[in-house]
Amino acid sequence: MATNNGAQFNRHPEPTFSSDQLVFTSDEKSAMQGYLEMYPEPEGAIMRGLWLAQEKFGFLPPEVIRLVADELGIPYARAYGVATFYTQYFKQKKGTYVLDVCTCFSCQVCGGYDILHYLEDKLGIKAGETSEDGLFTIQEAECLGACGSAPMLQITNGRYVHNLTESKVDSLVSDLKDGKMPAFESVTLPQDETEMGGNRRDDVESLEYYKTPPVAETFE
Amino acid sequence: MEVAKQGTSKAGNWRDYERVLLPKVKNLHKLEVYEENGGYQALKAVLTEEKWTPKAVTDEVKASGLRGRGGAGFNAGLKWSFMPPVDDKPRYLCCNGDESEPGTFKDRQLLEYNPHLVIEGILIACYAMSITTCYLYIRGEFADWITHIEHELEKAYAKGYVGKNIMGTGFSTDVVIHKGAGAYICGEETSLMNSLEGKRAYPRIKPPFPAQKGCWNYPTTINNVETLACAPLIINKGAEWYSAIGAPTHPGPVLYGISGHVNRPGVYEFPTGMLITDLINEVAGGMRGGKKLKAVIPGGSSTPPLRADMIDGVTMDADSLRTAGSMMGTGGMLVLDETVDMVTWLKRVSHFYHHESCGQCTPCREGTGWLEDIVGRIDRGEGNVRDLDLLADLCTQMEGRTVCALADAAAWPVRYTIERFRDEFVAKCKPTLTPAGSPLTVDA
Repeated sequence: MATNNGAQFNRHPEPTFSSDQLVFTSDEKSAMQGYLEMYPEPEGAIMRGLWLAQEKFGFLPPEVIRLVADELGIPYARAYGVATFYTQYFKQKKGTYVLDVCTCFSCQVCGGYDILHYLEDKLGIKAGETSEDGLFTIQEAECLGACGSAPMLQITNGRYVHNLTESKVDSLVSDLKDGKMPAFESVTLPQDETEMGGNRRDDVESLEYYKTPPVAETFE
Repeated sequence: MEVAKQGTSKAGNWRDYERVLLPKVKNLHKLEVYEENGGYQALKAVLTEEKWTPKAVTDEVKASGLRGRGGAGFNAGLKWSFMPPVDDKPRYLCCNGDESEPGTFKDRQLLEYNPHLVIEGILIACYAMSITTCYLYIRGEFADWITHIEHELEKAYAKGYVGKNIMGTGFSTDVVIHKGAGAYICGEETSLMNSLEGKRAYPRIKPPFPAQKGCWNYPTTINNVETLACAPLIINKGAEWYSAIGAPTHPGPVLYGISGHVNRPGVYEFPTGMLITDLINEVAGGMRGGKKLKAVIPGGSSTPPLRADMIDGVTMDADSLRTAGSMMGTGGMLVLDETVDMVTWLKRVSHFYHHESCGQCTPCREGTGWLEDIVGRIDRGEGNVRDLDLLADLCTQMEGRTVCALADAAAWPVRYTIERFRDEFVAKCKPTLTPAGSPLTVDA
C-alpha cells in the first residue's frame, strides 16, 4: 500500500518537536493563506501545507501534522489520513539526504538493483535504513518517470540524477557529503541530438530555482 | 470501423517527419521564444475570431479524432462534449500530469521542453467548456519541473495570457499547479479529484462521471498533459490536417517513450501507427549489445507484454495493438532482450501494484499482495506448476471487480506474461505429482 513503506508505524510516538519549535513564521503563515486561496475548500490546501511543513521540519510526526491542520483550519484526522496515504510524506525521521533509487520496471532491467546494492555496500546500510551520521537514507523507489535515463535516483524528493554508473554514484556521495547538491540535469531528446546538435535548452546550468533540501539537522 | 490492415506502417513517410509537439526550436520553453514561434496564436484566434464558438472548438477537436494520451485512448472532443450546459455553478478542468505508469516518461519531457504548449492547450480547453479554473496536477517527484513550470506560468500571467480578462477579451481562467506526493493511483481521474480535494486518493465509483459530478461535486473534465498539448495544434492547422497524421483510427503525433535494452532510449515524437520493429531497430538504434529481442511492453507496465515473434507487422495504434493482444496505453515502450528473466521481472511488476494499491477494494488490496507472493514463490523456485493456474484464477477474481482499473492493470501483466512465457515459469516450478485439487496432491 502507498502508505508507510511497509515499516511498522507507531500512531502515538513521543513528540519530537517541543511547542517552542512548533510554530510557523509569518512568511510561512502567509504562504499557507495563499494555499487556502488556491482551492474552493480549505481541505484542498492540505497537500501543499504538508509539503511546506516537511520542508521546514524534515518529516511529519503527528504533532507537525496537527500544526498544519490547525493552521489551515481543518480536522486533524483529515490531515493525518492524507499524510499517511502518500509515499513522499516522511512519517519517520530520515537522513539529510534520502536517496530514492528506482528499481522498478525499466530501471530493474537496466541495472537499478546494481546501483542500489553498490550504494548499500558503499554506505554500509540496507535500503530503508539511515546511516549512523544521519546523512543518508537509502530507499528503493517505485517508478520515478525517468525510464529513458535508467538507472536513476532522486535526492530527498527533489533532484533527479540520471544514467547512473558506479563512478557517478561515488562522486555524488562525496559531493553530498560536502553539502553540494548536483545541478539540474536536462535529459536530451535523441531527436534533438540528431537535429539540433544537443540539448535544446541553454539555461540548464544557470537554473537555481530549486531550494535546499529539508533542514532536519537544524533541530538536533 | 475499418479494421486496420496488419503488416504495414501507418506512419507514412516518418523518416522526414517534422515534429510539432516538440518542434526543432531552441529554448522553446521560454515564453519569449514560444511567442516568436507563433505561440498563443491559437488561443488568440479562439478568443477573438467569431467562428470559434466554444461548441465549434469542441467540434473541431472531436473531428480531429484526437484520442486521450493518458492510457484509455478515449476521443478527447467527445469527452469535452459531455460537459453539461453552462449555468452559474463552477466547473473545473484537471490536467493530469501525474505520469506514474512505469515505463512512461513523456509528459515530463513535454513539460520541460514545451510547457507553454500545454498551458495554451489548457486555456483552449477551458474556453471550449467555459471553465474558469484549471488544476494542473503534477506528481510530487517532479519537484524541479514544477518549479520550472511555475516560473513560466508566472510569466504567462504577467503577459496576460492567463488570469483575468485574457488578451482583453473578457475571458478569464486561472491555472493552479497542484503538487502530488507520490501515489500512482492519483493518475486515475476520480482519485486525482479526491487528491485535489485534500482527501486520501481513493477512486470513486462511476457513474456519476466527472462531467456530472467531479471536483467538489461540480462538472469536471480531466485530460492528460499530451492530449491538451494537441489542442493548439488542431486549432492552428485544422482537424483535417491532424486526422491525416498516422493511423486513421488513432491519429496524430505521439510521444513514444522508449526505454530498456535499446541503444538510444528516450522520448521520440512520431505519428501514431509506427511499426514496433521500426521503432526498435531504426528509431531507437537497435538492440543494445546486439542481443536478441525477447519481449516488448508497448504502453507502460499495465499493458500485456508481446513476445518477439508477436510483433511482426504490429503498429503503435489502438486497433493494431488490440489485434496483436495488447494495448496502446501511454506509448511508453519497454524493450527487453534475451537476458531478462521474465519471472523475476514479473515479480517486480507485481510488487509495484501491491505497493500502489490504495487499499479501498478488497480484491485489489489482497489480490495484488497474493499475486506478488505467488509470483515471488515461483521466482524463488518454491512454486508448483499448479500455482500458474492459481494465478490465472486470482486474476479472474480481480479483473473488473473493483472501483477503478488498478486491479485489472495488476492482473493483466501477470495473466499475459504467464500465458506468453509459460515455459520460463514452468522451468522455475517444482513439479506437481498429481492434478491440482486432488486429495492425493503431494508436494514434490
